[in-house]
Amino acid sequence: MKRYRLTYFLGQSFKGLWRNGIMTLASITVLMSCLVVMGSFVLLILNIDENLEKLGLLNEIVVFVDDTKTDEEVEEIHKELEKIPNVAEITFISKEQALEEEKEKYKEYSGLYELVEGDNPLRDSFVIKYEDNSAVQPLVDNISRTDGIAKVNNRADLATSIENIKNGISHVLIWFMTILFVVSIFVIINTIKLAVHSRRAEISIMRYIGATNWFVILPFIFEGIFIGIISSVFAFFIQWYIYGYVVTEMAGTLDFLSIITFDSIGHYVALAFLGIGIVTGIIGSTISTRKHLKA
Amino acid sequence: MIEFRDVKKVYPNGTVALDGVSLKINDGEFVFIVGESGAGKTTLTKLLLREEKASSGSIIVRSNRDEETAKKPAVYDLSKISDFKVPHYRREIGVVFQDFRLFPNKTVFENVAFAMQVVGEPTKIIKRRVPAILNIVNLTEKSGSYPSQLSGGEQQRVALARALANNPQIIIADEPTGNIDPKMSLEIMNLLVKIHKRGKTVIVVTHEKDLVDYFQQRVVKIQGGKVISDGVGGMNV
Ligand SMILES: Nc1ncnc2c1ncn2[C@@H]1O[C@H](COP(=O)(O)OP(=O)(O)OP(=O)(O)O)[C@@H](O)[C@H]1O
Ligand SMILES: [Mg+2]
Repeated sequence: MKRYRLTYFLGQSFKGLWRNGIMTLASITVLMSCLVVMGSFVLLILNIDENLEKLGLLNEIVVFVDDTKTDEEVEEIHKELEKIPNVAEITFISKEQALEEEKEKYKEYSGLYELVEGDNPLRDSFVIKYEDNSAVQPLVDNISRTDGIAKVNNRADLATSIENIKNGISHVLIWFMTILFVVSIFVIINTIKLAVHSRRAEISIMRYIGATNWFVILPFIFEGIFIGIISSVFAFFIQWYIYGYVVTEMAGTLDFLSIITFDSIGHYVALAFLGIGIVTGIIGSTISTRKHLKA
Repeated sequence: MIEFRDVKKVYPNGTVALDGVSLKINDGEFVFIVGESGAGKTTLTKLLLREEKASSGSIIVRSNRDEETAKKPAVYDLSKISDFKVPHYRREIGVVFQDFRLFPNKTVFENVAFAMQVVGEPTKIIKRRVPAILNIVNLTEKSGSYPSQLSGGEQQRVALARALANNPQIIIADEPTGNIDPKMSLEIMNLLVKIHKRGKTVIVVTHEKDLVDYFQQRVVKIQGGKVISDGVGGMNV
């Protein structure tokens, strides 16, 4: 029974990495930086999302009903609103409920609302949740056109600008990441090429004694994988440190923000880094050994 | 059995290295390939190793069942064989070069063992077989030395041991004595004859008239890419 020993391939790739120490270091540094930059961007976006969700800015419109309308008419309006596209959920808040809430909010000044008891100045309202963030303006237009609506309070302008900022960041992120990955793969390709080059005499002998393609190139593929693994491990710890540092800095000044803890996402970061690192390593080393796939 | 049928080799730059070579070498034969520099001898060995492909004609290699390694019989048509199968084909042939081509950072033992490692031989078998092969080439006591610590003749014997490692039926040596002194040359040649006597097909490309005359074996003479004579005897058959 023919058997190949993993230790041979692992040993060869460690030797290769060691022999081309400078290039190995360069590859690791570049790939690691790439991962950290990418990680930071993604964490930033996640936190923006988290806060937007908390604020509920993005998917809520408050609609006030004309106060001349009777309860039956309000019921009609409710039905009309439900027909409008992009409406996900409607909650009715009567003016009595609204008053109770206000009283609750300002209970230190309890005298304030006693004056208006029996003559509630507030209006009935609907809180409308919607599905599609990008079609808020047509929704607002539709609601305004509905008979009996006195006022539409929406944060569409704010929502849109936040959405735009997010899209802008995502755009920059994607371009930046693409460039960094191309650079990472390029550096790995060159590192492995150098390793192949320094062993070309050995490779030619191996060919004569009947070594298969995979026997020849596997150590180099492992080199790529190791570069990926080492880079991702370093990147993870650096990311951890940077995130912790930024969060403590912000905690003092921007304490109204809700910040995702690293503990809750650390394992995703680790997995993503490892996955991307290994894939990058495999792509780089495969490209650089491709021409050696011939006999 | 090796058979060349009307083989022509034209290199990409237009050089015609072989031109209509037909040649049959039976199992267990010993053949000297001789000819002037540039005659096409190395090209012939490269075609046989499938390092180069023939431009036209065909090369067929048949191998028998090998009891020692339990290898099955096989027929290879070198003009049709896929790149994927070439490594497996090469295991049928042991090759020795003028410049030895040993791994400089492996010991004698490791150099021979590596050829077996490449084909996935288990360590247990490697440990048993390598000393036996080193014994055939009389290098048992140099087992732990590195190539740089050996003479040319000794290095060539290591190369020969490596060629024998996987028990191929065919041994090809391209000017095996080209880089070593005459006394050692005779020793290497004697070893090749010894290997031949053990049942291998041995093909030796050489310039050395004295050795060819001395051994009185089949001599194939090539000139300008063509076989100009083929028969048993000395250089002038
Ligand atoms: N890779 C190549 N590309 C182009 N021409 C080549 C190549 N290899 C060999 N040749 C030419 O083919 C011819 C035969 O070369 P080959 O190496 O087979 O000769 P040889 O008989 O082995 O000579 P020597 O005794 O000097 O080793 C020569 O004219 C040589 O220049
Ligand atoms: Mg030659």
